[in-house]
Order: sequence, then C-alpha cells, then structure tokens
Amino acid sequence: MAPKSTAGNEKLLDDQAEVLQAVILADSFNKRFRPLTTRKPRCLLPICNAPLLDWTLESLALAGVQEIFVICRSHPEQIKAKIAESRWSKPGSGIKIVPILTAKETFSPGDAMRDIYTRGLVTGDFVLVMGDLVSNIRIDEVVKVHKERRKTNKDAIMTMVVKESGAKHRTRSKADSAVFVLDSETSECLHFESMMGYPPSTMASIPREILATHPDVEIRNDFIDCSIDICSVEVPSLFQDNFDYLDIRRDFVHGVLTSDLLMKNIYCYVAKEGYAARVQDTKSYESISKDILSRWTFPLVPDNNHPAGHLYEHIRGNKYIDKDGTVILARTSTVGNKCLIGSSTRVSDNAQIISSVVGRDCFIGAGAIIDNSYIFSGTRIGPGCVIERSIIGYNVDIKENTRIDRGSLVGDGVIIGPNAHLKAFGRLSKKRETKTTGDESEADEYADSEEEEVESAQDSITVDLGTASNAIVWPPNAPDEDEDSEDVENVKNQRFMRLGDSASDLAFSDPGSESSGEESESSEEDSDFDKHVDNLPTSSATSLSLDPNDSSTDAIAESEFRNEVKLSLERAFAEGHSVDNAAVELKTLRMASNVPLSRVRESVVSAIVERIKIIDGGGVTQRQEIANVVSRWGPLINKIGGVDMVETVTALQAHCASSERLPLFGQILAALYQNDIIEEDDIREWHQAATSQGLGLSPSVRTDNIKKCWEIGSRMIQQFDEQSDDSENESGEEEGGTEDEDEEGGEESDSSADEDDEEEDEEDE
Amino acid sequence: MASDPQSTANQRIVEDLVSRLRRRQLVGSRATALETLLVLRQVVSKARFSNIDQLVNVIRIVGRRLVEAQPKEHSVGNTVRKVLHHIREEYHTASERPTVQSSFSIAKFVLQGQPRKQTPIPRSETRVPLKENDPDDPDSFARVLKPVLMEAIQDVFDELETVYDNISKNAKDHIHSDEIILTLGMSRTVQSFLKSAAHYRNYTVIVAETAPSYGGREMAASLSSAGISTFLVPDSSIYALMSRVNKVILGAHAILANGGMFATSGSLLAATAARSYSTPVVVCAGQFKLTPLWNLYHEYGALDFGDPSAVLGFEEGDLVDKVDVVNPYYDYVRPELLDVFITNYGDHPPSSIYRLLKETYDDEDNEL
Repeated sequence: MAPKSTAGNEKLLDDQAEVLQAVILADSFNKRFRPLTTRKPRCLLPICNAPLLDWTLESLALAGVQEIFVICRSHPEQIKAKIAESRWSKPGSGIKIVPILTAKETFSPGDAMRDIYTRGLVTGDFVLVMGDLVSNIRIDEVVKVHKERRKTNKDAIMTMVVKESGAKHRTRSKADSAVFVLDSETSECLHFESMMGYPPSTMASIPREILATHPDVEIRNDFIDCSIDICSVEVPSLFQDNFDYLDIRRDFVHGVLTSDLLMKNIYCYVAKEGYAARVQDTKSYESISKDILSRWTFPLVPDNNHPAGHLYEHIRGNKYIDKDGTVILARTSTVGNKCLIGSSTRVSDNAQIISSVVGRDCFIGAGAIIDNSYIFSGTRIGPGCVIERSIIGYNVDIKENTRIDRGSLVGDGVIIGPNAHLKAFGRLSKKRETKTTGDESEADEYADSEEEEVESAQDSITVDLGTASNAIVWPPNAPDEDEDSEDVENVKNQRFMRLGDSASDLAFSDPGSESSGEESESSEEDSDFDKHVDNLPTSSATSLSLDPNDSSTDAIAESEFRNEVKLSLERAFAEGHSVDNAAVELKTLRMASNVPLSRVRESVVSAIVERIKIIDGGGVTQRQEIANVVSRWGPLINKIGGVDMVETVTALQAHCASSERLPLFGQILAALYQNDIIEEDDIREWHQAATSQGLGLSPSVRTDNIKKCWEIGSRMIQQFDEQSDDSENESGEEEGGTEDEDEEGGEESDSSADEDDEEEDEEDE
Repeated sequence: MASDPQSTANQRIVEDLVSRLRRRQLVGSRATALETLLVLRQVVSKARFSNIDQLVNVIRIVGRRLVEAQPKEHSVGNTVRKVLHHIREEYHTASERPTVQSSFSIAKFVLQGQPRKQTPIPRSETRVPLKENDPDDPDSFARVLKPVLMEAIQDVFDELETVYDNISKNAKDHIHSDEIILTLGMSRTVQSFLKSAAHYRNYTVIVAETAPSYGGREMAASLSSAGISTFLVPDSSIYALMSRVNKVILGAHAILANGGMFATSGSLLAATAARSYSTPVVVCAGQFKLTPLWNLYHEYGALDFGDPSAVLGFEEGDLVDKVDVVNPYYDYVRPELLDVFITNYGDHPPSSIYRLLKETYDDEDNEL
C-alpha cells in the first residue's frame, strides 16, 4: 500500500504547490501575567496542563501548516528547548518548526513583523497567530478563501478570523475589543475601531464614504478577535514601510483601512463553526480553561487530543483524571464538575476541588478547598488551605491553613504559610537568590529589572505571609502619572483583564456597544452623520473619541501642517518635481498630520497663488506669469485626493481676500478655468453660495475683499451667459474660435477686477 | 525492533494515522478500519522478524499506539485483533502443527455446535519448510511467511470492502412488503440494507431526524431518492409512532461483548419505545464492529462526548457561562432491548455475540 499512499501525498503537494507557512508571535509584549512570567515566557504557561505554545502548534497542525516560525523574544532558550523536546520535532510530525530569536528591542508585534521582513522568512501567504492561541477552527479553509480572493483582487492583503459571540461572552475580552464594520456581501472589513473597557467607549465614528459606497454594511461588536490572520507576503513589508505601526489591530488594520494611499483591502472571516480564543490575560486564562473543560474546543480536549500528549480519562460531568492510574483520590475527597487532575497527584481526605485544574505531582492536603483555581505541577497545598479563583505556579508550597483570596497570582517556587492570608489580587514571587552577576544571562537581567524594583519596595509593604515564607509581594498596580488613558494597558482597563475581578465598581455595563451599533446603522441615510459625530462636544463621560479632531493640539498640528505643505510645495516648485510626485508627498503629509482634505486644498491653493509673482505694472507679463504657474501647478489641486471644485474657488477667494494678490483673483480664476481645473458650473455654484457672497460676515477689510471677489465672479458668469448665447448663435463656428472667445471672455472678466489691468489688456489686444 | 532502520518509515505512517485519529480528521468505523488495515499491511511488509512472537509484538506495538490515539474508535482495535488472529491462523497452517490445529478446532466445534465455513483452504502448492530463529538466515522465516500474511491481510481488506453487500444480501428476508420500518441517524450499512430490500419489497421507512447531528435528514433524502417511500419525523415523535411501526432497524457504532451496543444518540430512545410495543429491533453492523469490551462507565452513554456547540451555540454568551452542556455521541443500548444482529457473517441474537467474538479474535489480544 506504500506506493499508493505516497503517490497520494505527492499529488496533494502538487495541488498546493507551495508550503503553507505560519508565524507565531510567541511573545505577549505585555506584562499581564506577572509574576508568573518573570522566569518563563507566557507561551509556556500551562493551560489545562499543556503549554500554551503546544495548543497553538496543535491548532496550526490541524490546519495542515507545514512550516512554522516561532518568533521569541523573552526567554528564547526555554522556548527553543521546549520545541526541541516536543513531539513536533520527532520525525513523522510533518511539520518544520523554526524558532527565531528576535532582538530585545522588539517591543511590539509591529517590531516583530519588521523583523520577519528583514529576515525574509515568509515566501507566500502565511498564517499569523499569537503564541497563546487555542483554536480548532479549520484555518486551512480560511486560507483557501483568502487565496481564492487573492486571485481576483491583488489588494486583499489580509483575512482576519473572528468568531461570533454574544456581547457579554465570558471569553470575549471587555478590555480590548473592537467594532468591525463589514460589507455584508463580501465580508470586507471596511472600518475597524478598537474599544476598551475603561474608559468605556460608547461611540464609534464610521466614515461617511463607507456608508455611501456600500449598500449593505454590518456593524458588529460581538466578535471575539482570534488574532488569526492570513497575511499576504506584502504585510510585513507594509510594517517595514510604516515604522510607527506597533499593534497589528490598532495600528496596522486601522492604518490600512483609513489610508487612501495604500489602497489595500482587509477581509474578515466570520467563523461560524469552531472555537478560537487567545489567552491574553488572566481573565481569559480562566474562561478558556473552562471552555476547554466544557469541550468547546473539541476535538482539542484533554481526553481526546491533549496537546502535551497526556492521556486523560473523561468522566461524566466533564471531570478529567489522568489515565495512568497514579492519581490518588481519597475516598472522602470530592472532585466537582469541570476539573482536571494530572498524574501522580494525591488528593487527601475531605479535600474539595471545584472547577479547577490541578497539575501533575501535586499534593492537596486534608480538608483543603480549591475553588476555580489553576494549580501548576509540583505544587503542595497543605491541609486546611482555601484557594479561591487564583493561579498558583510550579512547585509552590502552601503550608497549612493558608488562605488565598480571589484573583491572586503566586509565582513559581514560592513558599507561603503556615496560617498566612493573601488578600484578593495579591501577587507573590520567590525572592531571588543572590547570584553573581557574571553568570546571569541577558534574559534574566531583563526579567529581573522589574523584580528588583519590586524587591526594593518591600519595606513599605507589610503582609503576613507566615514564618517560612520566601516570597516577595508585588505592589498593586498603581496608576502612573504619565499613564496615557488611551493606552490599553491603563490600570483601570487592566482590571477588566484580571482574574476574578468583575470590575463592577467601574460602573460599566456594555450598553453602548450594542446600541451604538444600531444607532449608527439607523443613521445610514443621514449623509451628515460623520460630521455630526465629529462636531459633537466630546466630554469624557459620554464618548471616547478615537478621532482626534477635537483638541487644542489639533490647532497646533494644523498650523504645523500648513507650514509643512508650504515647505513641501516650495521644494517642489524649486526642484521642479512632477505634479504626481508632489501630490503623493501631500497625501503622505495629510496622513501624517491627519487633517481634513479641505485644509490641504486651502494650503495648496494658497501656495500656488503665493507662487505667482506680482509683476509691477501687470499686463502681459503678469498674465503670462499666471498662465505659467497655473498650467504648471494647477492640476495639483485636483490630485490631492479628491476633487471639489467649488471648494477650490472658495479657497481661492478666501486666500485672495486676505492677500496682496487680491487684484489677481479674476485672472487666476480664469486661468484655472482655462486649464480645466474648475468648470463653469462650479463657478456658478460657488457664486450662489452665501459664504462666497460675504453674507453674514462682520464688515471688515476682508469682507469687502470677499465681496469684491464675488463681484468679479458675477462678471465672469455674465460672460459665460453671453457666451452661451453666442455659441448658440454661432453654433457652426469652428472649435478654435470658441476657445479663443472663451479666453477673451476670461480675460475680460479678469481685467474688470482692476482697471489698470483692463486697460492694458485692451491695449494688448 | 524500534531501532530498526525500516521502522522509521513505518513510524511515519503510524504517526500520521495517529494524528489524524487524534484530531478526528478520520471518523467512521469503516473508514478507520480500512486505514488501520492499510497501516498494518505496510508495517507487516516492512517488518523484520525471525519468529512469530516478534511479528506479533510489532503489530501489537503499532496497534496499541493507534488504540491509545483514539480509544473511542473501537474499530481500530478490532482490526488489529482481527489481523493478529489471521496471522496466527496462517502461521499455524504454515507450520503444520497438528496438535495446535486439532485442539483448536475441537474447542471451536464444542463452542459453536457446528463448524462454520472456517475450514482453512489447503495451501499445499508451495510448502517450504518454515524455520523459526534460523541463525544462518534470520530472514528466512519472514521471507516464507510474508506472502501468506499479505494474503491474509488482503482477505480482511476484501471483507471490509464488501461488508455492505454481504450484510444487505439477506435484506429481503427481514423486510416484508407493506411493512413500516423505523430507523434513525445516517448509517451506510442500514442505508444499503434498506435500499437492497427495496428491490424486492414495497415498504415504508420512517426516519427520525436524530438531533443534534441530524444525520436522519441525509438518510431520508438518500432513501427517498432511491424510490423508497420515506417520512422524516422529529425525534420526539418516535414513541408516538411506534405503535404503527413493524420493525426498528438501527446501525451500531460498536457491538459489545455482552450483546449490547453503542449506537448514535437516540438509539436508546427508539429501542426502549420499541420494547414497550414489543416491536422487534434489528441491528445491521459489519463484523468489524464486534468489540471485546463491556460498557463499564456509564449506564446509558458511551463515554464519548462531543462538542457542545451542536446543542448550544457558542454565541449565547450568557448561557455558556452558566450551563454545562453534554453532547454524547453514542447511546449504550442494553442487550435485552435488541433482538438480532445482522452481520456479514450471518444473523445472531445478542446472546451469542460472545461466541462470535471468540471465533473472530484470539483471547490473548483482548487487551492489546
């Protein structure tokens, strides 16, 4: 049978043509699990007695990934060792795993992506996941969909996998969620806005164009973002180009979707079946543990396909006991529903274990109560201890009658007790042995810097941890003065990620998330919706505006922007750039300082007007000058990213009214008209507008000037009217002739602006 | 044996099957049985051995690995047992040990009352003396035995290939005209059984939907496309309809040593309802589903629980936190509730399953 099966394999390979690659970012880039993660990376924390990384690898293996790059930053040697000894490195696993060590300076997923780019790791479409993923979603199907889409649309660079859940799902992070705006038909992600638990977000601003261009949109705030992305090969290079992208969602996705330069599309894959979630904080650690024990991750469950290869016996009530027969449960002990007990663990008389995970080689003393807790291997829990909703590290020794309240994290090797009481949300780690600094590895130094801080702060904290304790207490997260409340890692927001913290005192229920979605949907017809939202006074109580259009900093930004535009155009003028290049430069500037298009237009118009030299005596030379400048640079006005001719005229008027080039208004207008930068209808429209007539403005020199400009405009329109009569009369006339007349008409209207000019014009002719 | 260079190739195909079993990428009794057989054939053809014990050991190691990978798919273990049984049989025939042969057959004779068509076909054409543990030529044993073994495995393979036909060939003797048959779930065996009966008889089938897998819908569509008059009913109405049903025909996931069976969830409901109306319950199953195991764990379930999402959507966020959902794949149906098993080896009452087991497998293999 051998030849047949290998032939089948070969055929399969031919079909796929290329190896499916995956990249695991095996670093969390945050410190939510401290102190559990001081001496080991987060991806090696066990969940249901198997390291997170194994769950991730299994999820990828399920999808038929053949080559996996594991990007590690902190404690890379441990990850390397783990991969080397795991069953994946054995022959026959069919998967090649390459650990990649990245620099210590990699502080964000964005940095890691740039590293991927510089190393040139990926050769085709790849799967990007985090090292803390638990999933049974058929990623290969998503890849298929992605590739299919790429065939028709080269700009579809990424597909994000999201999982539907209710708004209040235990596995859905409140602290770090997002609003997705999707096209219902193509499931293209049109807009992405991240949300936080604190400050609560009650509003999402959705760009008007999205509603205008897509008849059916879905606004969803009930997705679990699984952080499974199918990326095309250009994704790392986009990170390279945009060095300020840090987070994949908040910066990259948001950046790509809001950019009108990149013209790339991102799609969503809403997983109807399957399970996927990330262990991104202690709270999700708990909920994902429970999901695994309740078999939502099937077939990735302890009794069927345990990633670490342990064999568990599944007993009614979702109890899992190691199969090798070394677990000793005392007759009077009780093991409740949804429990997992590793091999060689002993549970003594009258001990109670309720919805908890107990590692291997643990000892649970008589009468101890373990309630909703996660106990890693090798830990000893003395008689009479009570542990509630906490995570206890490896080889911890909790001596008798110790009480550990909810939300506590106890680091590896800690000894507590006897008779100690750890208050809720306490964090303990083992006191470091004094080592000679010489043999400490770099990783240790890095990890220890924070520990040192904690240690030095010990004097100020007095908690009774019992006589035999070797623990140091981590202070509760104090709000930093320089803490940016916009950051996801802000202290209050972190409370939403904390195990056992209902955060109910933050007075947050999730009403905004649902209603705001509906609200925005109902306003679909309201074309002014976007502006409307932007103009709302954004008091912190009602809205977290992610749209930074509203503070005083913007004024500064704007003036800076004007200045930049001026400089950029001056450079362009001086160096004779092509119009296209100048336009690209302006677009980039606009992106960088995030100003509305109208500002750019104003700036460009004024820069061009300023470019025109005032020639003493005016006349032909002046007209020549205007024609030159406008024909050379005029097209730029319509290339900055949108065409709005009326606005152009208004901007011109506004600029001329407060500039010494007021006399040139008519001529410039005519020149613009001749160069097809503005059209007759637009001039008429402008002319109708109240603002252009200077109505409602307080009388001043400027207002007068505006009125003057308007009058010039009126004269021009008169000419148009006459011309149209003319052309109707002389419909048989040659084209050249009409053009001539057009020109003449333009000139005449110009000249009426200034009598001198007019005279000279006439002389000229 | 594991250090053998050839065994790395073996290991790869074994591991490949193991991971597919673990990930449940391979489901269904017959499909797994076939895949297991393919792997075993490969292993036997590559294995190096100089006596029968080594060979048996190699197969057992592989078998244990596969069974551990998916203890709930009983047909894996059954196939391994069956292959071991055949190998021993061939070995005894080849080595011509009359003592073993005769004592074996007498025991069988007593046990069975009447010998089945198990009489080994005489293979006397190329009788090479079989020499175990030959120090000069350690491979000679393997060289002689291998072709015979491959043939034996091929026999098992053929049996699996033709299992549906063999089961359904007697279908017309079980289903009579104008009968109303109740079935549930999607079982290939039952499907071919009913379709083959439809060639001779005109009868009606009621198919229960079989939540949460809703295999019944597929079954109903398939039967009605074959021209059988078919009704699809919800599971809840099984009892109500039972008074009109002449016969219940079920598929099995595994037939247990006591004559009970594991079958798709809902089978117990149907069997119990049938009992209260004394409606006969007929089980159609391939012989590879015979499992030398007892149901030790749950009174009603088979210890194989699936994913709760089929019952309760994961998007019901509030409920997920508060409700424990149990979604068993299989029911355990007690032997008292069943009337007859129709296998490719003929028809058997539940009470004689133990005998069939003894015939099919060797006792020493019950625990791999």
